[in-house]
Amino acid sequence: MGADALLKLHHLHLELPDGTALLEDVSLTVRRGDALGVVGESGSGKSLTAMSVMGLLPGLKASGSIGFEARELLGMKDREWRRLRGAGMAMIFQDPMTAFLPVRSIGAQIDEQIRLHERVSRREARARTVALLGRMGVPDPEAAAKRYPHQLSGGLRQRAMIAMALSCGPALLIADEPTTALDVTVQAQILTLLCEIRDSGAGVMLITHDMGVVAQTCTHVAVVYSGLVVEQGPVAAVMARPLHPYTQALLEAIPPLDGPRPDALPSIPGRPPAPDARPEGCVFAPRCRFVRPDCAVRPALREPEEGRRVACVLYDA
Amino acid sequence: MTILLEAKNLSKQYRLSHGQTLRAVSDVSLVVHRGEALALVGESGCGKSTLGRTLIGLGAPSSGDVFFEGERISGLSDRALRRWRPRMQMVFQDSSSTFNPRRTIGETLAEPMRIHGRTGIAERIAALLEQVGLSSSVLSRYPHEFSGGQRQRLNIARALMLGPDLLVADEPTSALDVSVQAQIVNLLRELRNSLGVACVFISHDLAVVRQMADRIAVMYLGRIVEEGDVLAVLQAPAHPYTRALLNAVPRPDRPLPPPLKGDVPSPIHPPQGCAFHTRCPLAQPRCAQERPEPHRIVEGRTVACHYPLL
Repeated sequence: MGADALLKLHHLHLELPDGTALLEDVSLTVRRGDALGVVGESGSGKSLTAMSVMGLLPGLKASGSIGFEARELLGMKDREWRRLRGAGMAMIFQDPMTAFLPVRSIGAQIDEQIRLHERVSRREARARTVALLGRMGVPDPEAAAKRYPHQLSGGLRQRAMIAMALSCGPALLIADEPTTALDVTVQAQILTLLCEIRDSGAGVMLITHDMGVVAQTCTHVAVVYSGLVVEQGPVAAVMARPLHPYTQALLEAIPPLDGPRPDALPSIPGRPPAPDARPEGCVFAPRCRFVRPDCAVRPALREPEEGRRVACVLYDA
Repeated sequence: MTILLEAKNLSKQYRLSHGQTLRAVSDVSLVVHRGEALALVGESGCGKSTLGRTLIGLGAPSSGDVFFEGERISGLSDRALRRWRPRMQMVFQDSSSTFNPRRTIGETLAEPMRIHGRTGIAERIAALLEQVGLSSSVLSRYPHEFSGGQRQRLNIARALMLGPDLLVADEPTSALDVSVQAQIVNLLRELRNSLGVACVFISHDLAVVRQMADRIAVMYLGRIVEEGDVLAVLQAPAHPYTRALLNAVPRPDRPLPPPLKGDVPSPIHPPQGCAFHTRCPLAQPRCAQERPEPHRIVEGRTVACHYPLL
């Protein structure tokens, strides 16, 4: 991968103390100015991947490697993590209502983050907070900074959350379902904002279940299923011609917004396996329409085409 | 087509402290024909859930009337409404909170029929479980033992126990993953075809609505701004808000057009004139002064806008 790789997960493996594997062999790269969409259904491990990059998973056993800029993050001390979070990488969550402290104004919370990482006066910190809120499209940012989380609408709260995440100029922004709790018209505003952040040179990792959201904001996509990456590649190529049967089924299951209306939507029978009940072979095999005998062996992630990877026996040479 | 349910000038207000009033639903008139599926769509706080509940007598309207098969059911006492309840049932969004966690599925499914003194409960349960694609082994199990998709199937089975003519489904698929959502969307369509039950779907997801409904009513701040055939409306919206809503859906095949500015105004202080004029890209001075009334622009399409797109 190029020298501009900002974040590089290499064979990341995450397990519970009892040995149940939650993530198996996850390899991903986020470059500066790129946005990587990590897509999957509930329980697929997409949020776990994000949390492990932020070092927010005490008690889980991790192996493999998480490379950020030129450092290895796995095995880092708490103190080093704290310096990195906020200044090097920052995360925004689905529900900004629970991510903000309800009893302090949002301005005070953003000021605090700035002053934690940099030696600046209260006045300077507040000036930066107000400027950031303004850049995020919050109307009347000075007044907004004095308000409490519950006094803002969902969309404004999410903007404030993004302002807080960007307050120390992180190189990597991780967004975990940032628009799932928002209405579509507000979601469109936040996605536009994420695109601007990406274009300004930051790396973005967007965790979502919505293929449409990925298509709108990301340059690359990784599809996760039951703790494994089953396909990755450039967004346009994957959307136009998905390789893995799971990606294909996921895209087909979205009801169309124009053209003829199908009598029945193609759906995927069954549901994903629990982490302690994963099949030995391909994890998607029990629900796959192309299943065949050699699926009993776990397929490796291969590169059948330049820049695209897929873990499926259909693409074994 | 015969009219099953009709709402005339329905309004629902809530009194808040400090003498403020929240107008959740304002002056809504609509009809649901027998066997038809009508979708109520809009963003959070537009009044779609309140309207859905008011239609079937879960909460009395502040003004206006609801007629079921021509008989007025709004303003009836709870006791008088009880006769109508089996005819209209509700499916809620979050299947995990609508089941009593300490009761088996069998007990929960039997309850509506027991309350209404019906017989043949076991046969009815067996028939419905088959229709929603579950086996009778579920009866002795508890709600937490099921996945979200299975629980939503049970939720639908329960609503159908009494053989209703009308089902009001409030966001029946929005808590589900895409692949499971497709299963439930298909199931609801099949059931509608086989049972002929009319449905009111409340949803914010236009793609799901297009798949499930015959007609669509788009709501903004408590009022219906556009209504018509679902395919026609989504093909060529006449109200600027409908178009904005449709444009905002992220899709794999086209870039996002510039989003609408601002947030939905508060229903406590709705704007004068057309409620949408504060965000409308096409607003004219007249829009801030005068509220547009719903009017028919072509056959089967009504829109509340001074300058419709059609």
